[in-house]
Amino acid sequence: MNRRRLWITVLLTVVISWGALAGVLAAGLSPKLGLDLQGGFSVLLTAPDNTDEAVLETAVDVMRRRIENLGAVQEPEISVIASRGSIQVQLPGVQDRERALEAVGTTGELSFRPVLAIDIISPAFTDGTLTLPTTPDDTAPSTTTTVGDDSTGDETTTTTTTTTTAAPQPPPPNLDPETGLTIVDDPTQAAYLQGEDGLVYHVGPAFLTGSDVAGAEAGFTPGFSSSGYVVDPEFTSDGAVAFEAATAQLSLYAIGDPRRQMAIVVDGTVESAPQIAADVPAGEGLDADQVFITIGTSDNAQTEAEDLATILRYGALPTVFERERVESVSATLGSDSLQAGLAAGIGGLVLVAFAMVAYYRALGIVAVFGLSVFGSLLMLAITLLSEFQGTTLTLAGVTGIIVSIGITADSYIVFFERIKEEFRRGRPLRGAVDHGFQRAFRTIVTADTVTLIGSVLLWILAIGAVKGFAITLGIATVIDVIVAYFFTRPTAMLLVRGPLAKGGFFSIEGAMGKPSGDMAEATA
Amino acid sequence: MSVLQRMYRGETEFDFIAQRRKWFAVSGLLLAASILSLTIRQFDLSIDFTGGTIVEAENVSGLDVADYRSVLAEIGQQGARVQITGEGTRVIISTEELDGPEQDEFVGVVAEAAGVDVDSTNVDAVGATFGGEITRRAVEALAIFLAVVAGFIAWRFEWKMALAALTALFHDLLITAGIYSIVGFEVTPATVIAILTILGYSLYDTVVVFDKITENVHELQSRNTFTEIANLSMNQVLMRSINTSLTSLLPIGSLLFVGSYLLGAATLREFALALFIGVGAGTFSSIFVATPILALWKETEPDWQRMQRRAARRSGAEPGVTPEVAVETVDAGAVARPPRQRRKRR
Repeated sequence: MNRRRLWITVLLTVVISWGALAGVLAAGLSPKLGLDLQGGFSVLLTAPDNTDEAVLETAVDVMRRRIENLGAVQEPEISVIASRGSIQVQLPGVQDRERALEAVGTTGELSFRPVLAIDIISPAFTDGTLTLPTTPDDTAPSTTTTVGDDSTGDETTTTTTTTTTAAPQPPPPNLDPETGLTIVDDPTQAAYLQGEDGLVYHVGPAFLTGSDVAGAEAGFTPGFSSSGYVVDPEFTSDGAVAFEAATAQLSLYAIGDPRRQMAIVVDGTVESAPQIAADVPAGEGLDADQVFITIGTSDNAQTEAEDLATILRYGALPTVFERERVESVSATLGSDSLQAGLAAGIGGLVLVAFAMVAYYRALGIVAVFGLSVFGSLLMLAITLLSEFQGTTLTLAGVTGIIVSIGITADSYIVFFERIKEEFRRGRPLRGAVDHGFQRAFRTIVTADTVTLIGSVLLWILAIGAVKGFAITLGIATVIDVIVAYFFTRPTAMLLVRGPLAKGGFFSIEGAMGKPSGDMAEATA
Repeated sequence: MSVLQRMYRGETEFDFIAQRRKWFAVSGLLLAASILSLTIRQFDLSIDFTGGTIVEAENVSGLDVADYRSVLAEIGQQGARVQITGEGTRVIISTEELDGPEQDEFVGVVAEAAGVDVDSTNVDAVGATFGGEITRRAVEALAIFLAVVAGFIAWRFEWKMALAALTALFHDLLITAGIYSIVGFEVTPATVIAILTILGYSLYDTVVVFDKITENVHELQSRNTFTEIANLSMNQVLMRSINTSLTSLLPIGSLLFVGSYLLGAATLREFALALFIGVGAGTFSSIFVATPILALWKETEPDWQRMQRRAARRSGAEPGVTPEVAVETVDAGAVARPPRQRRKRR
């Protein structure tokens, strides 16, 4: 065996593993910590049976929006588990649990409301409720300021004359003076709301809410006057009555008047604002059983229709999700657990290293370095997985790492005991190492495969924490085989050809003891 | 040469198989105790399996169990279980499954009574249906694991070995479960992990022994009975087995040590304890359960029975209890030498 090739293999392996880890750490990457290691909050919410996936996804969008507004949560993880009709919410590091729970635990309210005005900026600025922040005329006393309307189309926005006095009026409490939007939407009140289309709507109190809606379907109608994609909403019996009355009121207004439109609001956002059709006479309501909302035939009409139908179905969900599983870990418990895990891991490594050197002496050093290479590769793998796959490291994962230390140590023992056996049977020391590895490697691979199978199975079948354990254990098993072949083998072979091979207590030979049998001449 | 030295060199001559009755008796006793406890006492299952609500907090206000009970009675939770641990510094209250608003109320009341902010409590709430699902999945995982592993061993070695290995695994499983039941450890999903790890180790160990046996059989099948080969193999791997157990136990011991001293790491401690027991059981079963069963079984095969008769004729003694023959001949077999060098090795 070419010594130089052995050296190259060893050095390359060590440099790659240590170097890659150093590089990754220098780049500021570190594994994402799970809830049980940094504190936080997780809840598994269930929707009623037969809730379809699109509705769940909408719920997730609403939750995400709300969590973002809360601000204090880093990297929320909200996902749909379609097979169970559940939503898994994980909020690591969240401080205010009650608000977070409220944000995700309740569904956004659906309401149907009359449109009063539509504008590019909030109609609050144009109808006198608020004064525009940059109007210099505010400072001049007793000047009459008329804010005219120059908005688009033929909207009949009311124009008000505002007289500013020395003391400007304070804005109404629930209104953001900068954006002109209502801060907390109460469907029983009028409000200024953002629309999905970018415009701002001034809407009145709701005449229908989510509890009046039973469902909605999107479809295609090849009609005469109005063909294209449509949404067919379904109302409850009470809702149908209210709907007819509401549309009767709206049809009083002329075509083109924003007040002929009905805003469909979900969670404070105007999702859609269809207009009562032109052919409906003034004062006549729409029959709830036969009504449908025409989206049209444009390119994305189908998507729009399906989205709107989903929104309506979402609105029909009960206001509160059922909580199947709640886990709240305080920050102190999280950091305590992390410290415990780290301490245990380091302690374990040190003890094992010690034991190896004490028992196998020179070969034990091989094991110690091998363990460091193994550790580097493992941390590298976990960090990269965290970065690119979003896998979090939980306490179970840390436990998996610690258990895998034992498994990798065992690989060394298999190898060293094999060397001992070959040596005692009379093989020369060098041959014992070379040949011993071949045989030992087969055993190592077999045993590691069994563990790997176990890990994969565990990963497939398990939920939650157990998955984390399976991942780290599985990766560790694979790395163990790699390290055994690319590091342990060449290092041991180099060692046996070097000064530490024979002579003395610490040498390889010393650890192996005297060979037995006739072929006792163990000369290299 | 002392026993330890001989062990170190792999030269011990324990006749494991002849002494099997003793080991079977030990196993049998442990198994019986386990089964008894499992049927009578069953398990202390955590809320992850049964469903329920647990709130844990630092007991800043220093109230005692009775105080908490009265506070809880006000919201109708007088049946909740209250524990004060850590010499009065921590309080743990567990109760049945509660729905959303009730849960919030419960947590709020406990936090107030303990004198802490709601956000610094630790809450764990599980619905019963979810808990049942976890149980089902855990059992499923276990069953599939055993099936796949048995298949692998059957393919890599032979099916008789697979069955013997499975027997050893069931043995370990029952004993570990028995210990949990007898001592009253709480069974959590972490326990499931621990058990699967134990099974992994036990299997690993068993595979190593069987690997050795297979190797020796290949070499010595024309000269020795299966029992002799099995004995020899186990003697050879004894050191390795013990070493492996020790090094595996070191990191686990580290977990145990750290778990006992650091607060919030109770799960680590219980996990480590389970692993400790399990790894020990695993090593024991590979040598004292799996292999003797395998040997008994294999000896019923016609080829091996022929070997038994030859061995009996050769040494005039009962087959299987002549370790000297085994050791001698193997020495001969390892290196290219004429067979049957009858040199007493004492």
